[in-house]
Amino acid sequence: MLRLLGAVFVSAAAAWTGFQAAAALRERARALEDMSAGLALLEQELELGGLPLPQLMASLEGRCAGPARALFQGCVQGLEALDQESFSQLWRRLTASQTELGREGQDCLAPLGEVLGRCGGSRQCQTLRAVRARLDACAARNREEFRRQGRVYRALGLSGGVFLVLLLL
Amino acid sequence: MEQGARAYQQAVQVLPQRLRREALCLSPAEQARAEELRLRAGWPMTVVFPEGERPLGERPVEPGELEQLVEIASHASLHAVLDQLRRGYLTCPGGHRLGLCGTAHLQEGAIANLRPLSSASLRVARQVQGAARSVLDQLCPGGRLESTLILAPPGLGKTTLLRDLVRLVSEGEGCTPLRVSVADERGEIAALCNGAPQLEVGRRTDVVEGCPKAQGLLLLLRAMNPQVLAADEITAPEDVAAFRMAAGCGAVLLATAHGAAQEDLRRRPLYRALLEEHIFRWLVRIRRTGGGRQYLIEELR
Repeated sequence: MLRLLGAVFVSAAAAWTGFQAAAALRERARALEDMSAGLALLEQELELGGLPLPQLMASLEGRCAGPARALFQGCVQGLEALDQESFSQLWRRLTASQTELGREGQDCLAPLGEVLGRCGGSRQCQTLRAVRARLDACAARNREEFRRQGRVYRALGLSGGVFLVLLLL
Repeated sequence: MEQGARAYQQAVQVLPQRLRREALCLSPAEQARAEELRLRAGWPMTVVFPEGERPLGERPVEPGELEQLVEIASHASLHAVLDQLRRGYLTCPGGHRLGLCGTAHLQEGAIANLRPLSSASLRVARQVQGAARSVLDQLCPGGRLESTLILAPPGLGKTTLLRDLVRLVSEGEGCTPLRVSVADERGEIAALCNGAPQLEVGRRTDVVEGCPKAQGLLLLLRAMNPQVLAADEITAPEDVAAFRMAAGCGAVLLATAHGAAQEDLRRRPLYRALLEEHIFRWLVRIRRTGGGRQYLIEELR
């Protein structure tokens, strides 16, 4: 009985590992899409009028999800202490902490710190569009990878579990 | 004194940390008297008192600190203040004014940017409640306010007097309360922040901020049905045209202009038309006397 219970646990753990690996791919794609949607809102607001960044980001944080929300929240707090950290440093620090976006996603966001609030609205919108295009492409790659690899990871987890059970029994 | 020092302390919040520490080294009495802070790249920051300019600290201001100053003052949002920057200034929370100098970059003959910056002046905005009380009686013969032009060289308190005049008329202190509309192009009269005036302008006052005076005055005439229209510094023919139109609509006008005497106005074609058409009835001149100000009222008609 005890051996059977152990076998169930081992196979479940292996399957869970496989499913987790697949879910990580899906979550990254979703985080990249959420970030792109957040930047789309920012672009929209910039096109509408010249609100200062603290007000703009405060109005956006409640309308965004995932990493975009966390990023805008961090900006609102950091913009109150510009005498200690410039906006470009703040942006770099905050994007580096968005690990769910992956290295590629973080690299896409980084150039915005040198443009947001530093030039006219149209130039900022132009840069936001370019960054969003890169994020969308990145998200699409992750989705595709999830489609291709997700099933493999899950199958590997399940079969690995079964293999381990057979080996141990 | 306490209120004056508070305004100074609020103004220096836009300075980078090191410069702010130096600025706050002044005693509260000195802070209350300080009119401006001057920052010139390569020189120590100085403070301007009524009697003159004095250095603060020994370390020179670095060009990077001027850039940081603009970033703090604009909340890292140059896009929101680009029009002001192109005109060489930036209005900070509380109505304090940051004047900027540097290398101008032109686009189609107009200044598109000032970079790198070479110097900045931070002028402390102070509200002197009651400043206009002594002149209001004379501007309201029979209890009715008449159009008034405030005339003085820069730095003598034209905006301060105008703001208090607006407040008194709007509150009805010393005269019949009237609806006042203010075209606050540079945000120095009311200093709106999230729609609320940072400086006291009275409960019957409507403010349009950030747009050219002429457009602001016309917008107020169309939208707010003002009994009194106020604007700071008539500087362009469009401003004069807007004032003419407003006078034709029956609104009482309050405005300021640079100059020392009535003759200065008559010499300049821009103002000559205003005087010839008797758009203003009263001229208030401001003169410095010791540590205070003296207001001289002349009738223009």
